[in-house]
Amino acid sequence: MTLTQTTYQDQILASNGFFGPYGGCFVPEVLLPGLSEIADAFEAIKTDETFLAEFRQTLREFSGRPTPLTPLPRLSERLGGAQLFLKNEGLNHTGAHKINHCIGQALLAKRLGKRRIIAETGAGQHGYATAAVCARMGLDCTVYMGRKDYERQRPNVYWMELLGARVVPVEDGTQTLNDAVIAAFKDWVAHPNDTYYLLGSAVGPHPYPAMNTFFQKIVGEEIRRQCLAQAGRLPDVCVACVGGGSNAMGMFFDFLDEESVRLIGVEAGGRGTRSGEHAAKLLQGQAGIFEGYHSYFLQDGDGNIANTHSVSAGLDYCGVSPVLAWLADAGRVEFAVASDAEALEAVQTLARAEGIIPALESAHAFAYAFQLAAELPREAVVAVNASGRGEKDLFITMRHFQEESLIQYAKNLLTI
Amino acid sequence: MLPQLPIMAHLVLGYPTLPESLRTAETYIAAGCAILELQIPFSHPTADGPVITVACQEAVKQGVTVSDCLAAIRALRKKYPEQEIMVMSYLNRIYVYGMYRFFQDLGEMGVGHVIVPDLPVVGPTQSSPPKGAGSSSSSVISSPQGVILSESEESEAEGLKNKIKSRPSASDSSLSLRMIPLEMDKITEMIGPAAKGEEWVRPPLVPVLAANIPDTRLDQLIAAGYDFFYLMSDFKITGSTFSLHPRLREIAGRIKSGNSAARIGIGFGINTPEQIKAVLEVADYAIIGSALIVAQQEGRLENYLENIAHSTTPAV
Repeated sequence: MTLTQTTYQDQILASNGFFGPYGGCFVPEVLLPGLSEIADAFEAIKTDETFLAEFRQTLREFSGRPTPLTPLPRLSERLGGAQLFLKNEGLNHTGAHKINHCIGQALLAKRLGKRRIIAETGAGQHGYATAAVCARMGLDCTVYMGRKDYERQRPNVYWMELLGARVVPVEDGTQTLNDAVIAAFKDWVAHPNDTYYLLGSAVGPHPYPAMNTFFQKIVGEEIRRQCLAQAGRLPDVCVACVGGGSNAMGMFFDFLDEESVRLIGVEAGGRGTRSGEHAAKLLQGQAGIFEGYHSYFLQDGDGNIANTHSVSAGLDYCGVSPVLAWLADAGRVEFAVASDAEALEAVQTLARAEGIIPALESAHAFAYAFQLAAELPREAVVAVNASGRGEKDLFITMRHFQEESLIQYAKNLLTI
Repeated sequence: MLPQLPIMAHLVLGYPTLPESLRTAETYIAAGCAILELQIPFSHPTADGPVITVACQEAVKQGVTVSDCLAAIRALRKKYPEQEIMVMSYLNRIYVYGMYRFFQDLGEMGVGHVIVPDLPVVGPTQSSPPKGAGSSSSSVISSPQGVILSESEESEAEGLKNKIKSRPSASDSSLSLRMIPLEMDKITEMIGPAAKGEEWVRPPLVPVLAANIPDTRLDQLIAAGYDFFYLMSDFKITGSTFSLHPRLREIAGRIKSGNSAARIGIGFGINTPEQIKAVLEVADYAIIGSALIVAQQEGRLENYLENIAHSTTPAV
């Protein structure tokens, strides 16, 4: 192994917030004391065995870790190429990988004595996990959610409210994840001293990109152990969908310094390549500084943030983790794209061939992995991160697959 | 010339249209407002309330570019060479335009103050060029990219432990920002010659501070030579209900005693003559934004300005 290769992990863990030129802490001055407090605490817990033991115990006892690495023999056979393995993060409590960093950050917030938690959410998975963890730890919880996401991910809104969280629909802008992030920041500006902002991806100002990567890296650590035990070797390729990048960083981190492991992030291709039709920032974005960090953003060419589209609310976001921006420039992580239609098809394919219904977000990774696996030799091992399960997408996928029954169901509900 | 009002009057360039926003600026000038604050519209104004957010989005919808805004400012400057102008922009618009180029363009027009709410301003401690990544974790604390404000020499672990044990309050001056990286080489380069590692040159930025600014950080900014300080009236976004945080008086005093020539404006939520009076007891200027935009939307801008003028003692 050469020196450069051994340092990806070290550089991320030892980062002062910059990953190459990306990252940073570009926020209103009023937020610096709060972020500094969190950064200091994160620095301390990285090597604090008491904290880390409680983190791992909570992951085990509350979230059900480790999640299985499931072989996909029927699909692998049908595709005629590599052996596919699915990391089932959807089997986490609340249905996605998000709970990993929620548990980590909530423990950190408790350590800092913060009683009020705010969060943003897109698909609702981060908000749902935050609400569950807050209920479990006795913390007050407010979740901001774009109005459009609030409507299209209604089941998760319901679960959050059942868990005692206050869910605030955000009416600004395009009413999606981006607007929820801004609303959460505005809340934090108004309550900088008593509130902890539990940000839900590997994005935002320092220390969130490094911190959420740190709390998510357990995903790749488990994959390493499981793959060695089950396939007798490391995966040749790891594939994860990329919205902000938390599940991708969770899967990739442990393999960053393994030269033999290809890492591929799959972005949301939406319904076209024109601005506003997709959310492929690494493939089509340009460098910018927004929401506290320097990275690639989808923009209009004159510094305004562009609209995005994806069938999956969790990928429908304008920016991407500064860690991934840096790894993309370095050529360590490759990027691909899957469209709305391909993701929907992948949901159906995986459901029927292997009995697993992935979240629409994760389905983007599968759509690409199916194409890739077909081109690889039979001895190759491809691991795909099923970052979440698909139950939350009931009303979206049903509209595509069985629109008539959805309408009938809605009518029946109303007449009961 | 009219006696100047100690008012910094804000507007969004391009709202409702670019020519109309220039007419609004002339109305402010005619009313005697000491400083114009011209905001370059941005699609996602992260620190602004609903009034300015909508104004920004309307302006962006019309396709107002950064170059259009600079041309408009140039035209105003030509017509009113004596009028003090400050420019406000979110970071991404000027980052994409080129920050150094942006500052140069404004400098040529005699605009020496730029308010960038999402860029914490820097001092000389960040001027040295950053070292390559991959250094050991102990360098995190002393990284040239980070703000080193902690005066104590306590060990890293001890310091962190103490900080966690005794949670800092809003006014705890011992709070350090040492883990926060404020600069990146690219920004430093864009700001100016600082990147060469020679003499540090203060960028034409206005620190935007709130009541939770640690004393050590405030002192650093004063020492760095910033000559205009924008204080947030309280912990809120623009256009919120007004309140004046009790610590602002102390902060203003600290600024003035550190640099008697420094000027101070207070903004966020200021609307009525009474609020302006309260603010002017602490600061040199009351900064008014959302209230002016609402007055303009409701067709009572002149009345509003007249009302302010009648109840405000002119600035010397």
